[in-house]
Amino acid sequence: MTEKLNPADAEPTPTPVVAQPDAVEPAAEAPEAAEAAAVVPADAEPMPAPAMAPADAVLVPLEQLAPAIAAASVSRRAFLGFGLAVAGGVVGAGVLAQYFPVFASAGDEVAPIVPNYNPATKAWTFVVDSASCIGCGLCVVACKEENHVPEPAEYARTWIERHVTTTDGQLYIDSPEAGINGFPKDSTAPGAAGKAVKSSYFQPRLCMQCAEPPCVGVCPVSATYQTEDGIVLVDARRCIGCGYCVTSCPYGARYLTPAGEDTPSDTPGVADKCTWCYHRINKGQKPACVEICPVKSRQFGDANDPADPIAAIVKATNPAPFHPEWGTKPRVLYLGPALEEA
Amino acid sequence: MQAATRPMTIAGRRIPTLREMGAWLVSEVHRTPRGLKIWYALLGVFLAVGGVAALISVPPGWEVMGTSPKFEWGLLIVAYVFFAIITSGLCLSASLGTVFGLERFLPFEKRHAVLALISLITAFLVIALELHYPIRMVFGAMLTPAPTSPMWWMGVFYGTYLVVLIIEVWTLFTNHPVIHKYACTSCAIVAVFAPTTLGAVFGVLAAKPFWYGIFTPIQMVCTALTAGLAILGIVFWAVDRFRLANHGTAKPIAMPSIRLLMAIALVIVSALLIRQMVDALASPQPGMREAAIALISGPLAIQFWGVRVVIGLVVPALLLAMPMTRTPWGLLGTSVTMLVGVFMDRLNFVEAGQIYPRTTQAGTVSYPYAAYTPSPVELGILLFALAFFALAYTLAERYLKMGEGDSHIFWPWPWIKPHHDHEHDGEDDHDHKADGAQVDPLKRLASATPAQEVAL
Ligand code: SF4
Ligand code: SF4
Repeated sequence: MTEKLNPADAEPTPTPVVAQPDAVEPAAEAPEAAEAAAVVPADAEPMPAPAMAPADAVLVPLEQLAPAIAAASVSRRAFLGFGLAVAGGVVGAGVLAQYFPVFASAGDEVAPIVPNYNPATKAWTFVVDSASCIGCGLCVVACKEENHVPEPAEYARTWIERHVTTTDGQLYIDSPEAGINGFPKDSTAPGAAGKAVKSSYFQPRLCMQCAEPPCVGVCPVSATYQTEDGIVLVDARRCIGCGYCVTSCPYGARYLTPAGEDTPSDTPGVADKCTWCYHRINKGQKPACVEICPVKSRQFGDANDPADPIAAIVKATNPAPFHPEWGTKPRVLYLGPALEEA
Repeated sequence: MQAATRPMTIAGRRIPTLREMGAWLVSEVHRTPRGLKIWYALLGVFLAVGGVAALISVPPGWEVMGTSPKFEWGLLIVAYVFFAIITSGLCLSASLGTVFGLERFLPFEKRHAVLALISLITAFLVIALELHYPIRMVFGAMLTPAPTSPMWWMGVFYGTYLVVLIIEVWTLFTNHPVIHKYACTSCAIVAVFAPTTLGAVFGVLAAKPFWYGIFTPIQMVCTALTAGLAILGIVFWAVDRFRLANHGTAKPIAMPSIRLLMAIALVIVSALLIRQMVDALASPQPGMREAAIALISGPLAIQFWGVRVVIGLVVPALLLAMPMTRTPWGLLGTSVTMLVGVFMDRLNFVEAGQIYPRTTQAGTVSYPYAAYTPSPVELGILLFALAFFALAYTLAERYLKMGEGDSHIFWPWPWIKPHHDHEHDGEDDHDHKADGAQVDPLKRLASATPAQEVAL
């Protein structure tokens, strides 16, 4: 470009270039040495000629150096030097990571939340009974309140579905406003209106806290991670908002937070999902939805704790995961018609 | 920058003063042909409109996109994929060109490399606007590597690609043959790996049966080749039409071989498309059949049959087959329709994968299909990207020496010399001199005459 800008400037300019005193004879070697030394300073010592321009440097006109530069720039050492520089950058970045809190490794941030909490001893268990759920939507309300889930209905960490089978054998699923206001008498699913109902049930839905969660594996920056006690969380400070985890979740449990709303992490544009109220359970409380459910459709506890009834409930009712064939080892256990249908 | 008493220099070259730059700019504007001015103006308008859309999309989480939790990936992902595969496709088609005789694409090496670099930069621009926190991505991907994530690998490969392409373009224009050889070899390798990982980004998602599977990366690579060939076709037409550097070789040598490669590519992508549809229709997996039906007779039918199949496959095939369209203009038609087909293919793929969710998505039941309409902001960003790509290429064609370069570009094995390796004679090539710096770019463009429509 510069050349084009000044066509008159074509003849070599007398600009001096710093070179070594003996640059005229071994000219081809000199720049190479300088390059190698610049990349690996330790190597500079045994070299007879100092790589950096010494005080008694002689100025050599550019045109005399041109063949040397041309030779040096195609050398394998230069190429190697470039590779070393790249490698150095990567190592440097790794070192930086140790001192850069935002990018500290995933495990670090969970443990200190509650000093006396030992995740290794916990076996959190969530049982949902689709037979007893009455579709009141109180859990959806409680979740939105507790976790600052954005107001609009398309952002839900937990929601209620109504599955209606009509007498002609058709299945209709609806979830008006994610079930937050309860349900009207007739299904709102397109085509269901006016049909006679054979059977119906409500199914509460939430993140399955899969034991083999695809959402964790796909995250390109490790912003989604699994705690020692098996809860899948999102670090809102690291998430780049790519939405990969949203597309990877077979249970549709995730969304990206919108701006201008009261969001769980106060960070717009990042992934969010149900955490089984991790901030509550590690303090000995139950998730907000479990606490509020008037018919105890949602049961939660630590199966390792002998005082906790959850182990006995699991033993007595034998609940099962929902769509285990999707291969993610989902950990919410269901009871009732939801299982039969799936 | 102020004009100093002693002129400032970089590596022995004087930096022009502001006044000189201004004068050059004014004279350049005077010398620009009318047609080119109109083209610049058009692109300028597109860039301005698209630029506003791009700015609107910058604050994270503003709901200015048509995407939603039930349909998380939309037009911008498609646009990113489109430009990313054009990059790989250009390198792949050049590598494939070596199979059919290295000298065929020789006069166009610089264009290959420059176009690949421009389209990769465009792809990065688009993805930066699609991601909510692109800067975090750069640091996050380096500081907390996630080798389980195909998206991370994609970032690694396309990041490497950018570096290697910059080296390649730089060495092409500054005559560093050895570094250049290695850069080209690296390019040829990355050109395969990058679209493969891009395909794997979709291919690993068991939650989206239509995307899942080994054929997704394969299809991505083949589509990349098609896209690269289509871009080259357009470039060959432009070289011939506007008498750009090396135009003498465009029609007799490059065009017949690119037609052959295009025909092969069309057969491959058609076969893959048929396989994909048959496989989806026969699949017992919920979500597979429904996705195929959405394409064949559902909400995506027009863009599938009308655009993907007719415009993207049938029309280019006819244009290639008919003797009377074996002209530069015929090639342009083939290329443009093929390119439209590639874009629609990727759009169909991304949409069909999400159109039939297996489950309620964050509380939203989508029945029978999840709806997605690109928002004006998304369309604006696409316009921005296309205009950026076109403008950058036009400027490169006008102000860079696009003449013949070294012969070993894209030769995948740098230690083996191709039998007609003219390593250092690029300098002595008469064609090279003809469009050197001294020749006014005006002469190249002003002498443009309508191409003779002669069948080859
Ligand atoms: S249900 Fe979805 S979001 Fe929750 S752990 Fe499983 S894959 Fe991840
Ligand atoms: S949206 Fe955030 S958490 Fe999800 S994959 Fe992307 S970076 Fe990871």
